[in-house]
Amino acid sequence: MSDEAIRMTCKEFEEILNDLDRAGMPEGALREQALAHAESCGSCARLLTETESLGFALQAISAEDSDRRAPAHVEAALLQAFRQEKKASPHPRIWWQMAALATAAAVLLALGFSLRDHLWMGPNPPDANVIPTSPSGQPVETGMGSPSVLSADAVAPEFGSGFVALPYADDAGSMEGAAVVRVALSRSALATLGVPVVDATDTNEVPADLIVSVDGTPQAIRLVSEVTTN
Amino acid sequence: MNTASELIIDVGLLRRIVAGDEAAFTILYRRKHPAIYRFALHMSGNASIAEDVTQEVFMTLIRDAKRFDPARGTVSSFLFGVARNQVLKRWEQNRRLVPLPDDGDHTESGMGRNGSYEKIDSSVSAYRNGNGNGTYPAGYDEFASRETIGRVRHAIGTLPENYREVVVLCELEEMSYEEAASALDCPVGTVRSRLHRARTMLLEKLREPQRVRRASAVGE
Repeated sequence: MSDEAIRMTCKEFEEILNDLDRAGMPEGALREQALAHAESCGSCARLLTETESLGFALQAISAEDSDRRAPAHVEAALLQAFRQEKKASPHPRIWWQMAALATAAAVLLALGFSLRDHLWMGPNPPDANVIPTSPSGQPVETGMGSPSVLSADAVAPEFGSGFVALPYADDAGSMEGAAVVRVALSRSALATLGVPVVDATDTNEVPADLIVSVDGTPQAIRLVSEVTTN
Repeated sequence: MNTASELIIDVGLLRRIVAGDEAAFTILYRRKHPAIYRFALHMSGNASIAEDVTQEVFMTLIRDAKRFDPARGTVSSFLFGVARNQVLKRWEQNRRLVPLPDDGDHTESGMGRNGSYEKIDSSVSAYRNGNGNGTYPAGYDEFASRETIGRVRHAIGTLPENYREVVVLCELEEMSYEEAASALDCPVGTVRSRLHRARTMLLEKLREPQRVRRASAVGE
């Protein structure tokens, strides 16, 4: 027996014991040292025999179970589900991308108009068309500058319809930190969001509230009808 | 087939599945589902739960195949990860999924549809697997008697779940440490140390009857 083999301690032997029967582990020299140590140590030899016995039993169980598989009805049910899923959304990827692009474009346009109004018409434009509000309908601070934030009193009385989720919206649980943003959207932009409009060629903009998630993606929309107070 | 070529085939199948190719789904299901089913069976101890878990895993694939990220591991690891979450979810719902009758008869057991380990006909020919084909590894007759195999199978079922899952993945499904780590979403070192501990626990459980026999002999 070599000196190196004798030098391997029982603790070191136990550390690599379970890897002795794994392919490629441990390296050849270390394996030889371990086996040589077992020859010189009664308790480690016994441990090696027990471990080998366990390894064979595990291999036998693996072989015994190798033909176990789910019944055929599971595959049949899955194939049916696959067909239904594909039938329900033939081109989901393209539709989602188009909807997301259209929404992003609409929001950018609205924000652009808002910024233009803010820059050209002074700090408190009477017709500012972006009014951040809380989900309850109250205005919220967005950090975009005080000129665009109106107090609750400043918001004209309104009839707000309920929010409608946009086609690609996340689930409700992921809406933490979302904000409601008041925008004015053209009827054609509304149509791209799936909101039914009577006349898409009408150039008048429609005020609407968007729920925007933390990552900036619009999640839901509601139309707002402002009531003339005078 | 090595892991790299397997991954290439699996990823190619996944792409076709995303594009709506039913044949690709069927091929992938048939390639992967037996291991997923066996994992769920070993973890839950219940055939009908294993069926449900298998179905849920592949439903996830149908609905959301894009969740798979090749940078994070193989398709198998991904599927085992989903299966593991499904099993854990069921554990949360019912913590009594694996009733293990300790009747002292551990000669041979299998996981039955009724939620408990059922005895399998012990007349199943030694050296042959459950379907009567295939042979056990060389040395089987010397080291792994049917009694030992039965006791090991039972002992696996009594391991805490985080130890049992590494035994199932690394020993019964013969996954590498890296693949198991990816499936379990933990470092390779954790898999290695858990497997080491699990095997030590199994050995201790296998020694128990010998200790009992010795103690009763001394008592007599």
